[in-house]
Formats: sequence, structure tokens, C-alpha cells
Amino acid sequence: MVQVKKLKDGSRQVILTAQQFDEITKVLSELAAKTKAFTILLADISGQLITQRGNTEDINTAILSALAASDFAATSEMAKLVGEDAKFKLLFHEGDKRNVYLSNIGDNFFLVVVFDVSVTLGLVRIYTKKAIQSLLKIFEESEQGDDASKIIDKDFSTMLGDMLDESFK
Amino acid sequence: MFINWALQEINLKIVYYGPGMSGKTTNLEYIHSKLDPSLTGELVTLKTKEDRTIFFDFMQIEVGRIKGKKPKFNLYTVPGQVYYASSRKIILNGVDGIVFVADSQRDRMEGNIETLLDLEKNLMSSGFSLETFPWVIQYNKRDLPNAESIAMLEKKLNASSIRSNPLLTWWFSTCKDNSDLLI
Repeated sequence: MVQVKKLKDGSRQVILTAQQFDEITKVLSELAAKTKAFTILLADISGQLITQRGNTEDINTAILSALAASDFAATSEMAKLVGEDAKFKLLFHEGDKRNVYLSNIGDNFFLVVVFDVSVTLGLVRIYTKKAIQSLLKIFEESEQGDDASKIIDKDFSTMLGDMLDESFK
Repeated sequence: MFINWALQEINLKIVYYGPGMSGKTTNLEYIHSKLDPSLTGELVTLKTKEDRTIFFDFMQIEVGRIKGKKPKFNLYTVPGQVYYASSRKIILNGVDGIVFVADSQRDRMEGNIETLLDLEKNLMSSGFSLETFPWVIQYNKRDLPNAESIAMLEKKLNASSIRSNPLLTWWFSTCKDNSDLLI
């Protein structure tokens, strides 16, 4: 299972192990090959990009995942307003050149598939559904990673503070 | 906080919260203009025609590697106007730290308090509390003639004595040109 911890201050901590990351990357590569998607992103619901496949040079994927997370969150609120008990499972944006297909993966993650209009939506839907099933299995694996408190110690915090200070012109 | 062991990345989400026109977007614009361009991505602002934030502003900062780890900061602002309450709640999703940007002007005190209560309500709905959550208050617009005294702002906005936990919280004040930063 991907570790989702609640820290003392109440904030959430999500940890992904190296093995899980490799397996996720494999699933996304397969999805990219089968759907001929332009770009595929996997992000967590707070908008943090986890991994990406396909053409990522021409798209600012950090921004795309932040916008997609908000898009998802906004429609979840919409779902509540129209009397849906659960969140909407997927979103589809249709463009002239490219379409965007967003689908949630459990409660903590979502997938963004950007594809050309020449690719049929049905194909993307089928392979995305399969990929999500594989991703859910990976997230359920029980390997444990190190706790964040082991790396973010006082020394780390001081060094980070110094680097941030130096970053300003 | 999102930790990716394969890429050795530590992702953190910081949200600038505060009443409308208190200077949240300006904070991000200032940071963006002062940072080395190689460390920061594009600043995205989702604004109305009147230049008010409609959903959020976003930028990412990378400071290089520390002990082999790569910390990344994702900075967000929320729309300040009262009627964008749902948007504010959404942006708090997965937040690791909050900068509350208060407007020092005397006539904006009510707006500050209202927004602080809104923040508390939103945090509580996610099981967080302002008593323990990492947050700071920025008393902005100190250079305006009708700015309230720090003592009064402290009394009205820092009632929960966040300073009782000095490791997590502190206050600082800024002027219009952000040149006078006190911590």
C-alpha cells in the first residue's frame, strides 16, 4: 500500500517506494504505446506530479498536474452540489487538436491522458481502465519505505533554509 | 508532502491565504521575479478580466539537491473574495504549510478576521487545526497611512497565540515594495 500518513500537525504525507515507482512507470509506458497518447501524467490529488510519459518537452507538466488536480477537485464539489454521493470518476475535455481524459485512481491519485483527436476516445477509455486496475494493484503492495522524519532532520532544514536564502537575487 | 524515493524528490505544497486584495498574488510575483530563473517554473495566474484571482496562482521552486534529496516547493494562492469559498477549500487539499497574508489597513480588519475564520473552518473540515498546523502570518501593506498597529493586529489575528510554538510560526511585515522584510 502506498503509505499515506497523517503527521502530528495534521498534514498528510504520501510516500512512494522506488519499486512502486518503477512499476508505475512501466504501466504508463504501456498505456502510452497502446493509446499513442501525446502525454500521460500521474499525479496525487494535491496536484503534485509523480511521473510522466510521452511528449513532456512541449508541455509544462508541473502546471498541467496542478490545474488537473484543481479541475478534479472542482468537479467533486460540483458532484456534491448536484446530489452525487461519490466523486465523478472521470473528466473529458474535447479540443480541436487534442483531447484530455482525466480519471481518478482510488482516493489519492489521478491520471491525465492527453491525446490527438485522431485517436478514438473508446480506445483511450479501454486502455486507461486497464492501466488503472494495474496501478491500483501497485498502490496496494505492502512494501514499506523510510519515514520522512529520517531525512528531514534539523540539519536538512538548516541547509534547505540556507539554499532558499541563496536562491534570491 | 509527497515523497518519491525513486527520484529522491520531496514535494511540498504551500498555500497563500488571505482576504481579497491583501497581496497574495503580489507575494508570488515578487518571489518569481527575485528567484534565479533556473530554479523556478512559469508563474500561472488564473485571473478575471478585472485582474482578480479566480481560482489560484501557481509556481514551483526547486533549490537543488540537499543530502541527495531534491526538495520542490509548489506555491499556490487562493482567491480572496468571500464567494470563492469552494475554490479555497479545494486548493487546501494536501497543503503542508500556509502563509496567511493579512491586510494591515484598519478598515480591512473585519475582512482579515472573516478569512481567518474561513481558513480555520476549512482546515477543521479536513481534520486539521490552526493550533498545530504549520502556518505564519504576514502583516502586509505596512507602508499605507491607515495601517493598524502590529500590537492590535497581533491581538485580533493571533488570538490562538501561534507564537507559543516558535518553531512553526512567526510573523513578519512587508512594505509595498517588499523591501522591508522583518522576521
